[in-house]
Amino acid sequence: MRHHFATSFRAALVAAALLPMLLAGCAKPAKDYMAIPNRPNQVSLIDLEERKVVRTCPLPGRYGSGTLQMSPDKRTAYVLSNQFENIYGVNLDTCEITFSAIQSEGNTRIKTTAAFAVSADGTELYVHQNPSLLLRDRYEVQEPRVAVYRIADGLKAKPVRSFPAPRQVILMQTDAKGTLYLAGRDIYTMDTATGAYSVKLESQTRKEARYGQRDVLSIWPLGQQSNEFIRMYTVQRFADETRKPETAELMWGYERIDLATGEATTRDFGPLNVVLFSGMTRPHHPNEMFGALSQLQKFDVEKQQLIKSVDLEHSYYCVNFSTDGSKVYLSGTFNDIVIYDAETLEKLGNIQLPGGDMSLATAQVFPRAP
Amino acid sequence: MKHLKPLNAKAELMDAANNPEAKAEVVAMQTVVGCASTTDPGWEVDAFGGVAGLCQPMEADLYGCADPCWWPAQVPDLMNSYPDWDQNAQSAGTDWRKLDAVFPKARD
Repeated sequence: MRHHFATSFRAALVAAALLPMLLAGCAKPAKDYMAIPNRPNQVSLIDLEERKVVRTCPLPGRYGSGTLQMSPDKRTAYVLSNQFENIYGVNLDTCEITFSAIQSEGNTRIKTTAAFAVSADGTELYVHQNPSLLLRDRYEVQEPRVAVYRIADGLKAKPVRSFPAPRQVILMQTDAKGTLYLAGRDIYTMDTATGAYSVKLESQTRKEARYGQRDVLSIWPLGQQSNEFIRMYTVQRFADETRKPETAELMWGYERIDLATGEATTRDFGPLNVVLFSGMTRPHHPNEMFGALSQLQKFDVEKQQLIKSVDLEHSYYCVNFSTDGSKVYLSGTFNDIVIYDAETLEKLGNIQLPGGDMSLATAQVFPRAP
Repeated sequence: MKHLKPLNAKAELMDAANNPEAKAEVVAMQTVVGCASTTDPGWEVDAFGGVAGLCQPMEADLYGCADPCWWPAQVPDLMNSYPDWDQNAQSAGTDWRKLDAVFPKARD
């Protein structure tokens, strides 16, 4: 009996000693990762603390566009692939392809520019489709639509619903409440059950006495790190309502949807001195707007002033941030990611991807457990 | 023209084209991405009339333009017409010598 008790006591001590280790193993703290596609058609998971590629998963077919959206649990990456036609879901921990939406069929060719989004509950994928009918003597442009795929349908997914949609939609995003946003000539919201859509934020159709028509280049669905869906515009701002061109200032501005509340805001944030391709606000610093192409620029939104600008070693299309807002990650074009200090804009390092160019790829940064 | 009558199919088409009400509706392409003609400056000259605003170096922007058919006159269109143009050149910066000129394919 004594021996049995002693054995049990020792076992209990060992268990007590191991318990914290086991618990630690079960609940490792979240840290920042990046998912990013590049050539040849593949997607990499990067540990941003270690600045190392954890895993690179091949995708079927040809590369492009490389637009990427993450599942809500941050385990599956959905990538627009095969020259803007198919969307694949790939488990970034196992490299298993778990979902595919093959859009073109027969003589109907369907392209998606970069406009797709995952529902807030992770069960549906929304895709803006641009169909063309390929006939022997001509192509016929068909009406654009939003197709809804059920992610549980896996590798043979077909649209379960389809709705007429505005043309020229380049980006889509969903918010925490499940609202679907479509960014094209204006920013629209769509009811994903009925397909009813309306303008949420006027952009190209906006009429303002002191402003010219806005111009937008935006093919990167960015902003989740600041809980926003954001794109930049350029515009002429005239001195007064006579709209004399010689009085015009060229301005940068943003169109922003708060992904927690659905609130839409738009405002100028600084002077247009160089071309920038993408931008977002710095996490936890909503008054700081960052943009990049051949320069990385940081703006004071309230003052509409450029705070700092640094020349980059080469052009990068896509801006993103660490969760704490301390680091800026620039990606796109070639196959390296460059890291800058968000406070000082000092370069901190590079991460090299295996393979070739990212070109238009979207880099998504997210915290998750390893 | 009102005293002339078309005698064959081609003449009928010309006659119809001369009547504005008979013209077919022109449907715009969905986006400037995707081979629509675009007049944005950017490949040879930037928005300010110089070259400082262009992507640096130009190879950094090569697939960014070829993938979405952004400048179909300047860069082969990978999206539709020349899908294999990049197959032996995964990095435009180091493999640019392998990127050949392209020519329209002969029709069947």
